[in-house]
Amino acid sequence: MLEYITLGIFVVAFIFIVIERFDKSLTALLGALMMVIFRILTPEEAIHAIEFETILLLMAMMILVNIASKSGIFEWLNVKIAAFTKGNPLAIFLLFSVLTAVFSAFLDNVTTVILIVPLTIELVKGMGRDPKPYIFAEIIFSNIGGGLTLIGDPPNIIIGGATGFNFVDFIANLWIPILFVSILAMLVFLILNWRRIKPISDKLVDLTIANVIIRKVKMKFVKKTIHKDFVIKVILALLVTIVGFLLQGYLQLPNYVIAFTAAIVLAILTSKKTSIHEAFSSVEWTTLLFFAGLFVMVAGIEKTGVLEELSHMVVNSTSDIFILALIVLWVSGFVSMILDNIPFVTVMIPVIAGIQASFGDVDVSILWWALSLGACLGGNGTLIGASANVISADLAKKNGVNITFLNYMKFSLPLTIGILAVCSAYLYFVTL
Amino acid sequence: MTSKTELFSDLMRELEADIGSRDLTDLVLQSLIDAIRGFKGSKFNNFCKQYSEFAEMVTNTEPKFGIFRYYFGYLEKEITGEVCSISKNKKWKKLAINRIEEVRKFARKQKRKLIKNSDEVDVEGKTILIHDHSHTVQDVLVHFRGQGKKFKVVIAEQDYEKTHDNIERLHNAGISFTVVPAYMLSHIHDNIDMVFFGALTLKDTMHFVMNPGALSIITEFQLEGVPIFMFMGTDKFSLWKSKKRSEIFIHKHTRKHIHKPIEYERIKYSHDRVPVKLFKKIITNEGVLTPARLKKVFNEKFKNLK
Repeated sequence: MLEYITLGIFVVAFIFIVIERFDKSLTALLGALMMVIFRILTPEEAIHAIEFETILLLMAMMILVNIASKSGIFEWLNVKIAAFTKGNPLAIFLLFSVLTAVFSAFLDNVTTVILIVPLTIELVKGMGRDPKPYIFAEIIFSNIGGGLTLIGDPPNIIIGGATGFNFVDFIANLWIPILFVSILAMLVFLILNWRRIKPISDKLVDLTIANVIIRKVKMKFVKKTIHKDFVIKVILALLVTIVGFLLQGYLQLPNYVIAFTAAIVLAILTSKKTSIHEAFSSVEWTTLLFFAGLFVMVAGIEKTGVLEELSHMVVNSTSDIFILALIVLWVSGFVSMILDNIPFVTVMIPVIAGIQASFGDVDVSILWWALSLGACLGGNGTLIGASANVISADLAKKNGVNITFLNYMKFSLPLTIGILAVCSAYLYFVTL
Repeated sequence: MTSKTELFSDLMRELEADIGSRDLTDLVLQSLIDAIRGFKGSKFNNFCKQYSEFAEMVTNTEPKFGIFRYYFGYLEKEITGEVCSISKNKKWKKLAINRIEEVRKFARKQKRKLIKNSDEVDVEGKTILIHDHSHTVQDVLVHFRGQGKKFKVVIAEQDYEKTHDNIERLHNAGISFTVVPAYMLSHIHDNIDMVFFGALTLKDTMHFVMNPGALSIITEFQLEGVPIFMFMGTDKFSLWKSKKRSEIFIHKHTRKHIHKPIEYERIKYSHDRVPVKLFKKIITNEGVLTPARLKKVFNEKFKNLK
């Protein structure tokens, strides 16, 4: 009976999370409370189920990124790159796509698109061109870049928290598929949109208008006060964080300790120019509580043994690790296209852990990478597949560019299938 | 108007409201230099043909900018004449850029002359009211300050961006100022000794095209007998037969009531037209002129152009 109640709570909560009838965090927290009220979990078990490492890492990165943004360093970099393009649409396309991927690897994807999409629209629309291909590329590359690192996308943070894989493990195992996927996406964009992004260096009028817009953007930025010492401190803090993540194996410190140290030291060093109250307010508490609620709900489900049975079912269906990896990749890819990938990954963690246990000493870590690739890259498939997609469409609308669901999907779905196919090829070679 | 000219016009209107027409001209000239540097047309003739297209676009924006016509009209003769007549010269880019730099230098010289001529206005111990964010007026005030003159400024508060532009410039120059909302100026009539304004252009109808809100302040202080000065170069004259109010753009948008679910239409106008006769003196690069003298100077230039 208790099993049915547990499943019932989980399914109802999951549906409410998908349809977003209430804020996701409220639904997840209520679901978590139900697990305790119905005695599925004891309060101690519920607290124990929360992956505090994941939540603290997210919190530290949110504080760090908020203080870093206040310095104006990201806008400065944007403006420098805009000036470097000299108004060439191809250069704008290539550089801003790469910049999006790089930013997304270290910042969260939503912050990245908030920084880059409005500037791209201003540059491209001002030149009388259609900004849609540029925005689509930025959406796709924000998810691709985010998939590369432990801190790039929430699914990776969850996987890292559950498995103990560190920052270097993520890059070492994912750089090859991410590189090939990036090349594929770039080629597809260039081929399909060549007419809209080809260079204009033989068109004096277009070139002049483009340069006027770049000067306008620069002028806007010059109006903002940039404090060199603040920027230097931010650069140092970000570098220390990344180096800390890279040397985590030697330091023997959890990721969240490294990120928190950087965030708090930066907050102290820049306390005259930033408000710590503001930095703490910028923490997305609803997201963190959503995570906490999910962890508790999944622990409830885990206790019923349903997820263990699911693991056995999967293992019994095939013992071929490549096939298993393919199932994980494509299922997580397609689910992420339409559902929030965070609850899905949270549920999949015990399932994959179960499969891993069934294989004993055999290395099946490839399944975790398949889950990461599917969850992060599958989000590209539709406009609702990832938060960065939704935010980009909103930013576009605010700037007079209407991106519809079908508009985006006509392009993104075939590309995402291609991307998952490239990942499948990678999984094949790794499991050979 | 072609869509490219429309696009360029929109961009120019937006920038003009932000930085004024003189700085805008310099910005377009600098952008043209950047564009020429990056131009990789296969044939030199392509450049000459495209330059003509550019000149056509820049001198036919909506609204037309007098200062654009003045400098780009002159530049067109230089480029399509001298530069394009020596197509075999491999240094054509350098030559074209040199010509543009000369035009920029000349424009700066005209502005310096205007600022020098402003010395005829006695501001010692006076309180000056400013309203628009004319960079020429700002430069004149900074010039006075540099000469060690002692005066106070009252900024009539208007659009947030424009007011803050004035505040920033005066603050950086160490000029003492206070800010009074534009609709409350009636309370400080007695404190104001003179009013300074800049303008976008002067039409053949002898109206200045100015920042919106200027006309009401000017008429208000005219009524009180406070002298009103205009600072504008003759390079900004609109030397063509003007259409009726063609330079005024109307922006309509829907706004929401801050607390209640009420939507309403809000209308904003881009400029005011102000008769020249309301000004005591007009300080130009060609001297300090009375309204009557300004009319003569304008008509002479118009006649010569024809």
